[in-house]
Amino acid sequence: MTGQEIPAGESSEAVIQAAITAGNAPCLVWNVAPAAVPQFQRAGGLVPLNSFDGGAKYADQRVGDRVDQYVSSDGDLYQLPWKSNPVMIIYNKELFQEAGLDPENPKLATYDEFLSTSETINSELDIAPIWPSADQTFYQAWFDYYPTFIAATGGDQLVENGKAQFDSETGLEVGEFWRSMYEDGLIPQESSPVDAFAEEESAMSIVGPWAVAVYTDLDWGVVPVPTPDGKAPQDIYTFSDAKNVSIFSACKNQKTAFDYMKFATSEGSDRRLLEMTGQMPLREDLEGRYADFFDENPLYAKFAEQASRTVEVPNVENSVQMWENFRGAYSESVIFGKEPVDKAFSTSAKEVEELVKGQGR
Amino acid sequence: MTAGKTLTPAGRRRTLGRVVGFLVLCFGAFLFVFPFYYMVVGALQAEPDSGISGAFPSPGDLSLTNFQSINERVPLFRALFNSVVYTGGVILGTLIIGVLAGYALSQLRWRGRSLVLNLVLLTLIIPFQLLMIPMYVLIVRGWGLGDSYLGMILPFLVNSTAVFIFRQFFMQLPEDMLDAARIDGAGELRILARIVLPLSRPAILTAALITFIGPWNEFLWPFLVTKKAELQPLAVALANYISAVAASTANPFGAILSGAVVLALPPVVLFIIFQRYFVESETSASLKE
Amino acid sequence: MTGAARYIGYLFILPYLIFLGLFLAFPLGFAVWMSFYDYFFAAPSAQVERPFLGLGNYSELLLKDDTFHTALGNILVFIAVNVPLTVVLALVLAAALNAKLPGQAFFRTSYYLPYVTASVAVVAVWGYLFFSDGLVNLVLGGLAPHPSWLVNEFWAMIVIAMLVTWKQLGYYVLLYLAALQNVPRQLYEAADVDGAGTLGKFWNVTVPGLRPVTLLVVILSTIIGANLFTEPYLLTNGGGPVDQTLSPILYMYQVGIEQADAGYAAAIGVTMSVIVLGIAAAQRFVLERE
Repeated sequence: MTGQEIPAGESSEAVIQAAITAGNAPCLVWNVAPAAVPQFQRAGGLVPLNSFDGGAKYADQRVGDRVDQYVSSDGDLYQLPWKSNPVMIIYNKELFQEAGLDPENPKLATYDEFLSTSETINSELDIAPIWPSADQTFYQAWFDYYPTFIAATGGDQLVENGKAQFDSETGLEVGEFWRSMYEDGLIPQESSPVDAFAEEESAMSIVGPWAVAVYTDLDWGVVPVPTPDGKAPQDIYTFSDAKNVSIFSACKNQKTAFDYMKFATSEGSDRRLLEMTGQMPLREDLEGRYADFFDENPLYAKFAEQASRTVEVPNVENSVQMWENFRGAYSESVIFGKEPVDKAFSTSAKEVEELVKGQGR
Repeated sequence: MTAGKTLTPAGRRRTLGRVVGFLVLCFGAFLFVFPFYYMVVGALQAEPDSGISGAFPSPGDLSLTNFQSINERVPLFRALFNSVVYTGGVILGTLIIGVLAGYALSQLRWRGRSLVLNLVLLTLIIPFQLLMIPMYVLIVRGWGLGDSYLGMILPFLVNSTAVFIFRQFFMQLPEDMLDAARIDGAGELRILARIVLPLSRPAILTAALITFIGPWNEFLWPFLVTKKAELQPLAVALANYISAVAASTANPFGAILSGAVVLALPPVVLFIIFQRYFVESETSASLKE
Repeated sequence: MTGAARYIGYLFILPYLIFLGLFLAFPLGFAVWMSFYDYFFAAPSAQVERPFLGLGNYSELLLKDDTFHTALGNILVFIAVNVPLTVVLALVLAAALNAKLPGQAFFRTSYYLPYVTASVAVVAVWGYLFFSDGLVNLVLGGLAPHPSWLVNEFWAMIVIAMLVTWKQLGYYVLLYLAALQNVPRQLYEAADVDGAGTLGKFWNVTVPGLRPVTLLVVILSTIIGANLFTEPYLLTNGGGPVDQTLSPILYMYQVGIEQADAGYAAAIGVTMSVIVLGIAAAQRFVLERE
């Protein structure tokens, strides 16, 4: 069993695709983005896990109901949920204090509260309250619009059963919320060339638990993403930002790979993952199983609590095109205000519905 | 101006021209060097600073932490070795095959010559990203050259710009000298080796330097072709470092810059050593007799 | 020429032709073939359907794809800025660097530095400099454009053009420098005798003497410019807001690699190659008329 590091980022998709085409893909890849699974599956590069004895059951036991989010349109399961980075809002306690806001119980639950807090930060400290990336890459929406959309709708995906969900009343409300942040000049229309939260150019950031290991110099707290009317925290869902593991069809020892996969996602292995990287294993009842770890690491505990309520990207055909299309509409309407949000979203919704049917491009 | 020498109007014009030229060069050099300077300065800082003080930090604010992290995580010597083999292979291929081709396209007469000349241009027109995956299938699946230096080198084996440079240069060699050699019974290969090449130092150097940059900085293709980290050239190792560090540190900017400084150092040093050979000295021009 | 001599040309060019056949002709042929199908890459053992589309990809691309049209417009802006700037600057600089001036080594190196530096760093530094709170705007004060450079519909591509011109200049300076070695000294000496100053010599000896290389530089910079990929890819990661920095090849990469739609991407690549071929041929025709 040999392992090789594969860097994250867009180039990893090119490498995996090339490997599938050449027939020399590795047996297991532990960095498969759910949004890429439809492409790899269409290329015949993946092995369905339910084709193994006990494969389906293993997945069910691991994540319970949420396994449906990972099943492909042909009914087979091509990825095992491995780890997630549930997206939440972190805020810089010192900066909040400086701006005259309560650092222990900040008002960030409803859109009104969030906006008013943001305005205070901006006027008192002359920095951005929060600074999501303005890039147009297809996955950027996963770190601004999508988590808040999931939270506001109580767990809807961008598209469900072939029907776009984001042009609904709630979806538009979420869009208008972000629009008002850009319109009021609270968020710059350019991505920050440096890490804004680390350099204290922004008071908040929208991140996963990886932040714990990175922002060690700052004193910060965690809250769930805002919702229009302030849902209770235990009812708030968010984006999972999951990375999963798949078995590739080029593998010569698929049964062995499957066994290894089970070993590497066992309770013990997951514990090592948690301890070494702070990333949340994507499995049921994290808080119960690893209670001692979370007692010692309260910041992680908040993410663990959120981790049981995550929603994935839709597992549909042309998923990358779908996200690119949406991001383009979002950018034009929400970030740059060149088009009204409802018009942009409804146009995108129609195009997206074509895409996931396998038509259009 | 030496004493006793008066300056003619032409001489004065010449001096003025030189002074102006010098000033233009200085200003231009400043514009050119400034972003590079900014890059080096940025690499030497632990925290990014977009203000004026970031551009002109006091020596006390400089630190080598970014470089130390690179040294810890990147196998510099191994990667450097791989880069040298990869780049060296491409330069070798270009100098051998490219010189032959340049000579054929300039000095020799054969049917289809202008067609091939256009083909050379075509290699520059067709974007590499279009050919990437079919080429990958050919080289890795077809010939099994994955994870090998040859697999990295082959698509880049002959640099087309170099072929142009050789052709251009060979075209301007004095015909009569070469014809004299032909009349004496020398074969074309002998002419090429004994007469043409020794005269072609600037062209060879220019071609080598231009060919050098491509594979030295190339990331995507070697990344695709190699899975083993021991074979990856410096550009790939540094890119891996940058993307790994960018995800886990608060100063990705410093990581990017320091990685780039490390990667740029060998070509710059090589250039400084060889740059005076680009300009032909006066004496060798007298070979035109 | 003797019988054997006639074949020497073929012999000398043969290795290069083999290289071209394997690494240009074959992948290109495959790419062209792909463009006529709804093609995507699949595992060797997979049974997949790839319906024949005829000119379907091309008609979609040329007639209906607004993104592609935007990208084409962007690259024309880029070329319009980049090519003249490159030719003029590279020529002037090469002439200046050829002369015996103090600090030669320093000057030559300074123009070569950007060419040598990896794009990822160059783009990071320029992005930092041209950021809305960056050094350039700090210096410009009230003159800074709103919105800031890289999110400005007018300026974004121009900034990229300046960046790439700056970065690539070393390459063209090298080409000119090599060619300058071939301008016969006698011509300069004759001009000296005629009383020509530096500018006169430059205009009447250097520029005409470099004519063939100038043609090469024009064609090369156009071709390389049309294939612009790395800088937009790194700088704005996706073509920037409203696609104002999207280049056609970046679009092709997004379609082919990120969206895994190889057939359509091939159509984009082939179309771009044909367009660039046409432009290069036109340039040769216009500039070689002599």
